[in-house]
Amino acid sequence: MISAYSISGTLQRAAFAAVAGFMAFGVQIQSLPAQSLPAGYPADYQTLVDAAKKEGTVTVYATTDAKAAAPLIKDFEALYGIKIEYNDLNSTELYNRLIAESAAGTGTADISWSSAPDLQIKLAADGLALAYASPEIPLLPKWAVMENMAYGTTYEPMAIIYNKSQVPAEDVPQSHKDLAKLLATKAAAYKGKITAYDPERSGVGFLMMNRDVKADPASWDLFKAMGAADIKVYTSAGAMIEKVGSGEHSIAYNIFASYGLLSIKKNPNLVMVWPKDYTLIATRVAFIPSKAKHPAAGKLFLDYLLSKRGQSIIAKGELFSIRGDVEGKETAKAVDDLLGDKARPIPVSRELLETLEQSKRLEFLNQWQAAIKK
Amino acid sequence: MSTAVAGTSTRRIVIAVTALFVLAPILLITYQSFLTAPFFDPKAQLSLWAYEFVFREPDFWRALGTTAMLAVGMTAISVPLGALLAFLMTRTDMPGRNVLEPLLLVPIFLSPLVLAFGYVVTIGPVGFVTVWWKQYLGNPVWDIYSFSSLVVIAGLTHAPHVYLYASSALRSLPGDLEEAARVTGAKPGRVAMDVSLPMITPALLFSGVLIFFLGFEVFGLPLILGDPQGLLVLSTYLYKLTNKLGVPSYQLMAVVVMVIIAVALPLVFVQRLLLRTAQRFIAVRGKAVRTNLVALRAWRWPAFLLIAGWFAGTVMLPMMGLVLRSFVSSWGLGINLIDVLTLDNYIELFDDSEVVSAIINTLAIATIGGALSIGCYTVIALAQHRWTSAWVRFADYIVMLPRAMPGIVAGLAIFWVFLFTKPLAPLRTTLFAVWVAYTLVWLAYGLRLVQSALLQVAPELEEAARVTGAGLGRAMRDVTIPLIKHGMLAAWLLILLIFVREYSTAVYLLGPGTEVIGSLVVSRWGGGAIDIVTCLSCINVALISLGLLVALRLGVKLHG
Repeated sequence: MISAYSISGTLQRAAFAAVAGFMAFGVQIQSLPAQSLPAGYPADYQTLVDAAKKEGTVTVYATTDAKAAAPLIKDFEALYGIKIEYNDLNSTELYNRLIAESAAGTGTADISWSSAPDLQIKLAADGLALAYASPEIPLLPKWAVMENMAYGTTYEPMAIIYNKSQVPAEDVPQSHKDLAKLLATKAAAYKGKITAYDPERSGVGFLMMNRDVKADPASWDLFKAMGAADIKVYTSAGAMIEKVGSGEHSIAYNIFASYGLLSIKKNPNLVMVWPKDYTLIATRVAFIPSKAKHPAAGKLFLDYLLSKRGQSIIAKGELFSIRGDVEGKETAKAVDDLLGDKARPIPVSRELLETLEQSKRLEFLNQWQAAIKK
Repeated sequence: MSTAVAGTSTRRIVIAVTALFVLAPILLITYQSFLTAPFFDPKAQLSLWAYEFVFREPDFWRALGTTAMLAVGMTAISVPLGALLAFLMTRTDMPGRNVLEPLLLVPIFLSPLVLAFGYVVTIGPVGFVTVWWKQYLGNPVWDIYSFSSLVVIAGLTHAPHVYLYASSALRSLPGDLEEAARVTGAKPGRVAMDVSLPMITPALLFSGVLIFFLGFEVFGLPLILGDPQGLLVLSTYLYKLTNKLGVPSYQLMAVVVMVIIAVALPLVFVQRLLLRTAQRFIAVRGKAVRTNLVALRAWRWPAFLLIAGWFAGTVMLPMMGLVLRSFVSSWGLGINLIDVLTLDNYIELFDDSEVVSAIINTLAIATIGGALSIGCYTVIALAQHRWTSAWVRFADYIVMLPRAMPGIVAGLAIFWVFLFTKPLAPLRTTLFAVWVAYTLVWLAYGLRLVQSALLQVAPELEEAARVTGAGLGRAMRDVTIPLIKHGMLAAWLLILLIFVREYSTAVYLLGPGTEVIGSLVVSRWGGGAIDIVTCLSCINVALISLGLLVALRLGVKLHG
């Protein structure tokens, strides 16, 4: 009896403490802007916010230009009063830094956010990512979340970009099939005029061509046609777009629509096509490194990045929101409305690890070499 | 007198410390080349796998061959050209020398990456010069993406390095021998070939060997100009290796570095052999002689035109493209440039807070950091000065090693050293780490500049000081250093410019607070922001040209 009483007494005290705690909690919530906790977040989310504030900063390693990310940074800092240290790196540098810092035990970034999904998934699979179930998961597509570790944050069509002063209207390829046909029938006219990422020198280029073949095995015919038209392959999208803009080349293949939009705005000769037979959708993958110095702040930023508020800013910044409930032109909704069932998202999943397997990779590259051989 | 070498313990300490700094990243890379995974990965095992992989690659052998031809070709162009420039500028009465002098240095502080891009805009397949040429003169006779274009451009743009070595050596020579030759009827060309240039053979050899090394390290030019044809040199091959296996494979990169080191070491040996005779070239004696200029007469204007033409082709042509690109939103076929003129690119640039701090950091690291680096180089040079010892031979070999690593690998290695050495770890995210990286990467280069000046100092002046009772330190402080102070000043200026231009080394150290223009240009180029890159480069060039002009106006003498 005594023990039962004492248990209920303990319970009572616990309940009292909880209420007191909740009241204190309530006061704190009031001191924050009302929109700081989106609907559907767990009640104890505030403890995470408090812990993050105590940490004070969130270090982000990202491949997204600091300039493109600036509105996100500003809004997040204003919302939580937590400073963002933003490091703008390329995907190889990001990978190199993260593995070295994780191994050195000096602590590393709190968010790794990269446009090379295969490398991100490799890092997560190698145990360098923290498992964290974001409260935003129910609002994300299933393919965009890997084991509560890695999250897709954008929905970017891979486009064909052409220069309309160089490509007559009747030649404009509306699909992969069109492009293959155009290059096959007018190989002389388009000799040296088609350009793409070099799958041998560019990780993104490799991944996209690999996914092309998965989406449509006839892609090998397209690659053959590209080879026959003396394709010029590059390591950076910037160089390709610049040279299509200048007319040195006429058509660039597999360009991120986010880059495409920016260049179209500056050069009225450039036009972007999302292929009608299928369009690959790339996503920038984010995770919290397991050796993060400020894990709470990292979680907070990840949730923010996936939240409706963060995603609305992503859409405005022409990076294409991945959420179905964000309105605007650069959103998954708008892309799907246009493409119907032809969108082929590249899943955030262990499936991508296959492209990093040495023998399979070298085999694919050999096939590529054989295909483009004249 | 070599028996009277004093202060050997201090010398040994200096060389040992230098060796520590140089060898830490090199040994790390060497170790890495024999592993199967990153050295910090517990799964890493000792193996020769990386060597087997690289040596089986046809691409590797192709890249090695191309690189060797590039290095030979550019040395063959830039050494004679640089020597000629130096002779004309320092020993003759060629008109316009004052105007030309600062201009000659411009190619050194143009980042090859943007230089190459500038060429694409002007003389690329749809460049505006090419389009104009096609309109009036028919098909262009050049192909900017060919290997020979790469060699010529690399050769022309590296000539100023030779010029600097050669001219600082020439300036410290008395003119009496040339005068004698001229009086006895020798033509200017004969004077140059038979009198002036043989006297500066050490400087020319130094610069030749260094240019050859730079040939192994050239990255920006082949990256841009070799891209469309898939032309590979070792440094761009490294890039390809990184992606071939999907994840960066340090062991493969390390093997390529080992290959470059294997090329470097015998060259240092050859260079040392050649320089054993350096004694013959001592020219600064304890007696001042006024230098009379060689009169070119009828050759005055042709000589001027030669330099002006070189400058137009090497600087004006790409700079025109660069400046033009920075003021338009697009260019090329079907675009009327008047319609697309804009200031938006610059407005956008200054909106960018990273850019502003990059400019400030770059200036700080170049001026203050550059001076500190020259200080270090001088200490190392003095430690070797007038000392025949195995230590000096050892030092001669190791200082070349950092240059054998392409900038991007050196940056990565230094990043590792800072990361995995506990006492250094907190410094990694500061400009200090960037400074160490720069100082190390340009060690061979800066040291040779200081040594070139030291070589010209005759021993009897120092000996006189020692005989009258000065200690070694005192003799160096009061005799040697004052004698080479012009050389040091020129070296500082050169290092300053090099540091401003340096781009790939700091990429791994890039972060908030350590941004420098060079690494920002690389990272923005990767992101496709070509407008930003061109504006930033134009500002970079404008800033330095301005600074250089002001310095010269204020009476800072590049040379004595």
